[in-house]
Amino acid sequence: MRTLATLPLAVVLLLPLLASLLFILPGVADLDSFRALANHPQFWGALALSLATGLASTAGSLVLALGIIFAAKGKHLSSRAGLFLAVPHVSFAIGLAFLIMPAGLLARAVALAAGWTMPPQWVTTQDPWGLALAAALVLKETPFLVWAFASLLAREDLAAGFAGQRAVARSLGHGEASTFLRVIVPQLLPQALGPLIAVLAYGMTVVDMALVIGPTQPPTLAQLAWTDLSDAEPATVARGAAGVLVLCAVVAAILAAASVVLIFSRTHLHRFYAASPRHGAGHGGAAWLLWPALLAIYVAVAAVLLLQSVAAQWPFPYLLPNVSTLHAWTQLLSDPRPVMTSMALALSTTAFAVGATVIWLEWAPRATDRAMNLSALAAVTIPMLLIALGEYRAFLALDLTGTAVALWTAHAVPVCAYVFLLLARPYRAYGTQWAVVAAGLQQGRARFLWRVKWPMLKGPVWAAAAVGFAVSVGQYVPAQLAAAGRFSTLPMEAVTLSSGGNRPLLAVYGIALMALPLGAFLIAARAGRSRWSAP
Amino acid sequence: MLNRRQFIGTSAAGLFLPRAGQALAADWSGTEAEAKGQTVYFNAWAGSEPINAYIGWAAGEMKSRFGITVEHVKITDTAEVVKRVRDEVAAGKRDGSVDLVWINGENFSLMKKGKLLFGPFSETLPNYRYVDVDGKPTTRQDFAESVDGLESPWGMAQLTFFADGARVADPPRGMKALLAFAKANPGRVTYPAPPDFHGTTFLKQVMLEQAVDRNALYRDPVDAQVRPESFSFLDDLHPHCWRAGKQFPKSQAEVTQMVADGELLVGLTFNPNEPANLVAAGTMPATTVAWQHEKGTIGNTHFVAIPVNARARAGAEVLANFLLSPQAQARKNDIKIWGDPTVLAVEKLSAEDQAAFASAAAPGSVSLPGPALLEPRASWVPLIEKAWLSRYGNG
Repeated sequence: MRTLATLPLAVVLLLPLLASLLFILPGVADLDSFRALANHPQFWGALALSLATGLASTAGSLVLALGIIFAAKGKHLSSRAGLFLAVPHVSFAIGLAFLIMPAGLLARAVALAAGWTMPPQWVTTQDPWGLALAAALVLKETPFLVWAFASLLAREDLAAGFAGQRAVARSLGHGEASTFLRVIVPQLLPQALGPLIAVLAYGMTVVDMALVIGPTQPPTLAQLAWTDLSDAEPATVARGAAGVLVLCAVVAAILAAASVVLIFSRTHLHRFYAASPRHGAGHGGAAWLLWPALLAIYVAVAAVLLLQSVAAQWPFPYLLPNVSTLHAWTQLLSDPRPVMTSMALALSTTAFAVGATVIWLEWAPRATDRAMNLSALAAVTIPMLLIALGEYRAFLALDLTGTAVALWTAHAVPVCAYVFLLLARPYRAYGTQWAVVAAGLQQGRARFLWRVKWPMLKGPVWAAAAVGFAVSVGQYVPAQLAAAGRFSTLPMEAVTLSSGGNRPLLAVYGIALMALPLGAFLIAARAGRSRWSAP
Repeated sequence: MLNRRQFIGTSAAGLFLPRAGQALAADWSGTEAEAKGQTVYFNAWAGSEPINAYIGWAAGEMKSRFGITVEHVKITDTAEVVKRVRDEVAAGKRDGSVDLVWINGENFSLMKKGKLLFGPFSETLPNYRYVDVDGKPTTRQDFAESVDGLESPWGMAQLTFFADGARVADPPRGMKALLAFAKANPGRVTYPAPPDFHGTTFLKQVMLEQAVDRNALYRDPVDAQVRPESFSFLDDLHPHCWRAGKQFPKSQAEVTQMVADGELLVGLTFNPNEPANLVAAGTMPATTVAWQHEKGTIGNTHFVAIPVNARARAGAEVLANFLLSPQAQARKNDIKIWGDPTVLAVEKLSAEDQAAFASAAAPGSVSLPGPALLEPRASWVPLIEKAWLSRYGNG
């Protein structure tokens, strides 16, 4: 019975993940493709660019997120940050690009004042250093880290401790900023290692955002690999696979380097912790501005997407479209199948993931937790491109490409991983005293689960479900490969239709991709409200 | 008058031909019967709304006329399909996921060499007899690769440039003129980064215009490299390009959008009627002009092909034949529908069918046409792309 409880997650998450790696890893031995990669004229430049944008975006979003958490002064941010998470990366990039590009809204505002008739020759997007890409990543990842930190700080088993430590630090003469840097952050970061690694891995391997806003000469290594993987020549595809493996190795190397640096800087850090309260800690002056500024940027991005979705004609330098039309919207609605497919996949994979995770956490032997935790973390941090490629090859070998099973599995793997990662901790932290009370009242286990435990865990369950839903709706690469043209989902439709560069269509699909998860987050926030509050 | 031998010969031919015709007709009605009830997965690039709408119309006609369901599998890049078919065939999958694919050039050459195509089938399609094989030699030579009946011609294309006539009074009708134009308008000219299809075509156009020996481009490259002097023109052009030639837009669609915004002055397309489409859609102003280079621009034909492991082969043939029909070709030719030039010899058609092809010039139509130049051999493409990357790939 206990091992049986591990079955659902093992079959849907572990098995495909292992199969995927099994089909990819032989590629490590293919030295020719690595040689070809090293000989690619853009390889070194692309690698440097990926390193720069990955590291800069991780550092930038970490600093901003800590600033926001600090400025919130213990106020609960996680539910609001959740709404930001619903915005897909690519929608955000499209909207942001139209804000800052030479023909974008900001330039139009300047042009109207200065009397320009042609867009300026600004280098605001597609800059050779990848700054626009890094900035877009920072803006998109900051809410994710805020959400991760805020959920940690709000955890019942930690919150009381933090409050006490704050009081102690204050009586020792430390100001707010000093307390935050010296007491809270050192405890927060190790706990948030998972999200931080995810941010780094994502920043290094992102393709869709880089395509919208990143440079081309050279592109990032992820883009280079993606172009190769989409090529018709088998040798070029192999070179692309080598590129993805190199990216993974680089992410791993950065993590190793970071831990070495941390170990060697320990004495340095201790000196900082023990220094006088005033030393190296300002009062965090403008940090309160960060959250409203971020909010303003997201609102502007959403507004730009809405305007574009109805713009039939919008010549430079007008701030509003000359002619508007609902044409793009009717196009989206004329074929509802992709939306329906995406909804069905998201609902079914999320329901399965939540059920399978709860079964695992409730009944599976605790000793297996570690293994599942690691594989879920692997599914989240190993670049999607790699897993997708392995899955595709596995499906092909099993003659499953183009089947509903393959499409569903491609969606379910990341959904299960995210749901497990999000649900495991709060579920495990659930106090045993409640079970004792129920047992004392002569209530059976089933009744206890239905009437006490699960209702009390409603919040984390709904939050995990919302994230799972969003993850499913956002799946592109693995789904596209598995579907073999037999199915179309919302992101697939968005990508193919937008390859012609029709801006209203791009905007409409950007909004649709955003609306589904946003709906899920709103429903989850409402449904997840606790019926009775724990002490 | 006829001697016995000739008599036998002609009568035999006379007897033979109708029979062959009957056999063909019988075969074809057999194909149509087999196709009935099939679902044809037509894999076609889906980045253009008029094209998607046209394919939707064709799907409707196929359903009502032949009882065949056509599913438009929307793709971003035909290379995806080549790869998928290759993987399927390698994995021994007989009932493949692709029944018909919109294809030409390098992708066709790869599929042909990889023996991934079914056929020959195209030249025995009933409507093939209307194809202008003499006037449009690219219907049988796809990027200097012999078609051999492995793909059925669908439409004609020719590299065409466009601009807002209010901003570009005197369109540059040659690469030298483009250089002078770029010098006069620094930062307002560029082309999409290869391997974007249009970017690669721009490079090929440069090579054709600059080549000392143009014929070399129609043979396989001798020592598998592109000579650096081929790039002297680009060396001159790039400093005057958008972002000083250190960055390039990622796609033709992006270039078009930038022209519409006024950030760039000259756009390029493979569909001579796209500028007129853009005017009709309101993306470009009514003052838009379209032109081809005086001494010609690269022209080619795009086709549909059936993978060797297609499941609905008969249905795919019926669809390919329908796409060649005068009615389907005339509709496709209409600027208001799609504006894709026909592969048929319009003068071979009945007067009624011919009338369907007559369409008035719309604003944005090509006003300064040039002759069509043949595509260089497909084997040059990877070499050109690699040489370009080595030279300009790092800004």
